[in-house]
Amino acid sequence: MKNQSKGLFSSKKAHLRFTLLLIVIFAIVSFLGSAGNYYNQLSDSLAKATHNVVILPHTKEIPFVLGLDLQGGTQLTYEANVKNIPEADRSSSLEGVRDVIERRVNSTGVAEPVIQVNRSMNGDYRVIVELAGIKDANEAIKMIGETPLLEFKETASVTPTVTGTSTAAINLQQAWKNTELTGKNLKSATLKFNPNDGTPEVALKFDEQGSTMFANITERNVNKQVAIVLDGYTISAPTVNEKISGGEAVISGKFTVAEAKLLVQRLNTGALPVPITLVAQQTVEASLGQQSIDNSMKAGIVGFLLVALFMILYYRLPGLISVICLGIYALAVLAIYKAMPWWMTVVFLSSLFALFIYVFKELKIFDGILSVGLFLIVFIFLGYYAHTAVTLTLAGITGFILSIGMAVDANILIFERMKEELRAGKPLDIAVDEGFKRAWPSIRDGNTTTILVCFVLMSFGTGLVKGFGATLFLGVAISMLSSIVITSSLMKVFVGKFLARHPWWLGVKKINN
Amino acid sequence: MINYQIIKYRKLWLIISGAMVILSIVALLTWGLRAGLDFTGGSLLEVKMAGGQPTVAQVQDSLKGVGVNSLVIQPTGSDSIILRFQETSQEKHLAVVDALKKMEIAKGGMTEIRFESIGTSVGADLRSKSFSVMSLVLLIIILYISLAFNKVSKPVVSWKYGLIAVLALFHDIIITAGIFAILGHYFAVEVNTPFVVALLTVLGYSVHDTIIVFDRTRENLPKSHDSFAETVNHSLNQTFIRSINTTLTVLLSLLAVLVFGGTSVRDFVLALMVGVFCGAYSSLFVASPLLVYIEQWQRRK
Repeated sequence: MKNQSKGLFSSKKAHLRFTLLLIVIFAIVSFLGSAGNYYNQLSDSLAKATHNVVILPHTKEIPFVLGLDLQGGTQLTYEANVKNIPEADRSSSLEGVRDVIERRVNSTGVAEPVIQVNRSMNGDYRVIVELAGIKDANEAIKMIGETPLLEFKETASVTPTVTGTSTAAINLQQAWKNTELTGKNLKSATLKFNPNDGTPEVALKFDEQGSTMFANITERNVNKQVAIVLDGYTISAPTVNEKISGGEAVISGKFTVAEAKLLVQRLNTGALPVPITLVAQQTVEASLGQQSIDNSMKAGIVGFLLVALFMILYYRLPGLISVICLGIYALAVLAIYKAMPWWMTVVFLSSLFALFIYVFKELKIFDGILSVGLFLIVFIFLGYYAHTAVTLTLAGITGFILSIGMAVDANILIFERMKEELRAGKPLDIAVDEGFKRAWPSIRDGNTTTILVCFVLMSFGTGLVKGFGATLFLGVAISMLSSIVITSSLMKVFVGKFLARHPWWLGVKKINN
Repeated sequence: MINYQIIKYRKLWLIISGAMVILSIVALLTWGLRAGLDFTGGSLLEVKMAGGQPTVAQVQDSLKGVGVNSLVIQPTGSDSIILRFQETSQEKHLAVVDALKKMEIAKGGMTEIRFESIGTSVGADLRSKSFSVMSLVLLIIILYISLAFNKVSKPVVSWKYGLIAVLALFHDIIITAGIFAILGHYFAVEVNTPFVVALLTVLGYSVHDTIIVFDRTRENLPKSHDSFAETVNHSLNQTFIRSINTTLTVLLSLLAVLVFGGTSVRDFVLALMVGVFCGAYSSLFVASPLLVYIEQWQRRK
């Protein structure tokens, strides 16, 4: 044990230099990724100060992807009534709803919608529409809500008894039953005028499937009525004279030209295959979002400073090192929140991975299936998030600030262990090594549980919980790596005669040599 | 070298914890948690009026014609008001906004800062989801602990470490929830999805803390010549400062959010702070004392 550690310090100076280089590369990529705008400003002012002698190339400024609660916008949740749709067709119908809503919202030009379909715990289908930066949510709601539901109904086998004119309508309604044909099968609608009396009509053209359905319906309903129902209202109920193949039909109601035109327009932008109702709505004004960003920024900076101050006051030199590490950590996490371009992702991950392999091999703490599994999972997810953006929400930012407080935990564990070894009379270099080595199982087990909780949170479904889970995961994963890898390398720079003679810097009374 | 006699006073710690847990259960049973919008369904509307903040009576007056149920009006900040009501339809929402716009004080203009409406079905869904997620997390944690501690068998078998860690978790969750029941009763603090997220995070954190103390016991046991109780006490002392310091840094970062983060995350952060504090307390003063009791009990048999 002793020989090993001695060898580590005397002959591995070059290796130390190599790890330091990797740390610098990692820090620079993290800085470029997280604060490209500050880097560009810096390079501008540097060019100005040196009269264009030193010109650093500009970097791409990558924006954060902000959630609705931070940039302002509306989230609408609709519930789809799939009662009348066979189990097998439900998800395809919901895809239809998704497309229709997208088309309708896009036609208003108010915002780029993000639309998701998911299933709730008790099997309800929900459609979540997110409209970022929208001023008037009501307009969008109207647009989506007014989308017509077109249905074709045939008479039920029980013939309704029509007793009086006043109850006729009710009886009629009860007697209709749905056919398989809906607006989903509509290919196009056009405005036409009846050649006989010149009244406006709406001509429908079905797709292939719809044409067959329509042919079947008309065939079995010869001499019976077929109702064309829009949003629950029967707009016309013609009697079928003969089987109609070819997939075309005409709705002739008592339309005005304007009404018919509107109907055509609405049918063309899409008839919903499934009726939907608005069940939840969340609108945040942009100014409130901006205020939340300002507040979180302030809280983040103050939180960082408080933690840094505590670490330096309590742990002295190691504390200072952990704060440097924490700074790099914060930049790295902010960088990974953004969608980094390919070259950055590659440099970011490979420098981190190289550091990790290198330092862990040197410390000989890479043990067993738990560690291998943990790192495999961590690196796969880091790889995914490095290139894709994490949508930042208020809860997510809170998760990030919380992770700053949690990130130093690994360092505290290591430093306490180091102090203990020093107190037990071990020489400095060995104590430092032992501190890292012995703290590792605790760090691993502790972080694994938090990471597992994060995965559960990420699968929870709703945006708020997901965002918090993702940011906390990234925080814990990166802090676990950086606290060991970066702190241990930086500590080694300072391990030497000076520290051995000045134990105050380590917060202990005496160091044995 | 510090050497606190934590195990010696184990009865005291467990009595304190037991009393806290019982008080929390009583609070939960008598008052319960004040379920917020996320779980009950309903609407929340925040508006800002150009003419300043209207009084509650003025707002009530203006909404007389609209007819909303269980209306709660709450002035917030220096110039805004928050309205809560039961109806969630878009028509009601627009009717309320229209009525407010007609107020004298809103003549110069009114901004709708925030509107949230959650239908009852969504609320019920969130509720059942929260429960299943909570159970899933507990299950995963028990599995992980028994896996991580499978090498320890003497004198206490590994699954009992897992059991104790889970008991400590229940302790933390029950007390956190109990404190929120009290806060809900006296200060109208509501419980929404963020509260569930906070509890889940506390679960992760608390078990992390407990594992670190147990890890030390696990490490010390084979080479120790002292009694089990003494070894546990020694391990506690070795991890004591680390536990305090880590809790302190986490609480410091959360404190910053509590003070500067704005009202929207206040309750969330508060739940996290309470939970983290309980988690730290339980890993030092509940989990290890219980471990010693289990060992004692085993010997007596």
